[in-house]
Amino acid sequence: MAKRSGAGRRVKPAGGFELLAWYWMRISGLLLVVLALGHLFITHIIYNVESINYAFVASRWAAPKTGFFWRIWDLSMISLAMFHGFNGLRQVLDEYVINPSRRVVVHTLIWSFMFALLGIGSYAILMFQKDEKYINQWELEHGRVANSSPSTSPASSVLVDSTR
Amino acid sequence: MSQSLRTPQVYRRGFRDRLVEGLRYGGGVGQWSWLIHRLTGLGILLFLVIHIVDTFFVVAFPALYDHTVAIYSGIISGLHPTVNGYYWPLRWVFRLGELGLIASVLFHALNGIRIVLFDFWPKAVNHQKTLFNAVQIVFWVIMILVTIRVVSPLFSAPEHVPVLKTASAPAMVPSR
Amino acid sequence: MTTTDSVRNLTLKIKRYDPERDEKPHWEEYEVEVDGHDRVLDVIQKVKWYQDETLGLRRSCAHGVCGSDAMRINGINGLACKVLVKNLQSSLLTVEPILGLPVIKDLIVDMKPFFDHYKSVMPFLINDDPPPTTERLQSPAERARFDDSTKCILCACCTTACPPFWGDQKYVGPAAIVNAHRFIFDSRDRGAAERLDILNDAQGVWRCRTVFNCTSACPRDIKVTQAIQEVKRAMLTGDIGFDPST
Repeated sequence: MAKRSGAGRRVKPAGGFELLAWYWMRISGLLLVVLALGHLFITHIIYNVESINYAFVASRWAAPKTGFFWRIWDLSMISLAMFHGFNGLRQVLDEYVINPSRRVVVHTLIWSFMFALLGIGSYAILMFQKDEKYINQWELEHGRVANSSPSTSPASSVLVDSTR
Repeated sequence: MSQSLRTPQVYRRGFRDRLVEGLRYGGGVGQWSWLIHRLTGLGILLFLVIHIVDTFFVVAFPALYDHTVAIYSGIISGLHPTVNGYYWPLRWVFRLGELGLIASVLFHALNGIRIVLFDFWPKAVNHQKTLFNAVQIVFWVIMILVTIRVVSPLFSAPEHVPVLKTASAPAMVPSR
Repeated sequence: MTTTDSVRNLTLKIKRYDPERDEKPHWEEYEVEVDGHDRVLDVIQKVKWYQDETLGLRRSCAHGVCGSDAMRINGINGLACKVLVKNLQSSLLTVEPILGLPVIKDLIVDMKPFFDHYKSVMPFLINDDPPPTTERLQSPAERARFDDSTKCILCACCTTACPPFWGDQKYVGPAAIVNAHRFIFDSRDRGAAERLDILNDAQGVWRCRTVFNCTSACPRDIKVTQAIQEVKRAMLTGDIGFDPST
């Protein structure tokens, strides 16, 4: 019985896919609390979805100093969200798709779809280049959009503006 | 005695049956939070698919992006003159959807923190109902403020000036 | 019956299934006279003894020890012999078989999948050390470490209250994990690594979604979710509180 007084109190920690997937959901989830809620706070509370357009996106991603920061933010957010969300979808579907060969089909579809989405999303974030000419043309034809200032025009101005 | 017994036919529930029977189970807040967590997660994922595709337009088709996001403020532009215009019910629908999205992400985040607490703070499992109440309180306080912020602009015109002069509306893909 | 517990009429709804006649289960209603001392089991037996002897149910000791009369009472799993009718608010009592296991007849389910999961975690003492001349000693603190999980009577209330188990019956389920917990944290046992390995499987402990239905269903008041979380943490850290190596 003296063996139990030894220094070690441990068995070898486990590894494996399910453990890593479980751990991943916790870590990515906590990071997404900051990233996704922060994103929602900026776009829906500080600004307003109605003020979001090409010029707004350009003012973030193509800003000379902070553009890099926002692109990193969005890139980490999309990667974490895709792997978190589609792994969650896999876990939900695994509870209802029991047949192993059907599971292979479902997993293949899930992950192909995810990588396609992650691909076009990352492409948009990394390859974005501000098109000044387009912004100027848009603002000329539709009036300058004030991103932060609240609208003071009454509802009737909708029709007045349209005749401009 | 010569008659042999019939093999009993065991009843197994089908997929739909299992889903409905499970919803009838009288589980407490744990079951409700699990269900809402799952449904909000799936809803957010569905939104993300749409959101990534429309954000892709920013790079590929800037004008299409602007016309698409204008729909979120109830403005249809760049189509045929008979369709183009400002539709306030459309704007309300998208604003309520926006509230639903924020509510989903917020609940999923708060309940996610609750789940992480169970995993890494051993005593949390003894307070799961208290923690769920805390999640609810924080959720509703934030949601009331968010609702005021999101709904109040609806009583004035959209910040985008609506485009009704479609004759000179820009092409879907601008010439660079 | 005492003066405080008056006799009243109760409608008992039972989900019936006759394997030789029915395609699928259906509800049947019975009017039963009950008093405040009656347990759900007494009410069901009044039906079986005086109204319909074809009703099938399992029960052995009828005192909450053997764990054979687990059923879904008013929507929640419990032992029919431990739930008092006077504690039920409504005048309608619904009784149905536990969810997730195949129904053999009426309230009787096939427990084989449940016991297969139980056996898969090796619920017996594993210790190849040479036996000591006296008993294998253990301090009160070491015994207290797994005391809660020794209370399990294998009634399946927890496992059949578990949403992941409803979906996929290949998940080992809370009861098997509780019984693994009982030996993993036993200082006399040497099989912890092997059991953790089994529960680390895709059908193992990671399928738990901390729904807490198991904890509230347990008729023995075992903190089932807590036991499952302790097993998860033992897998992450490798810490089981003692040295299992020989």
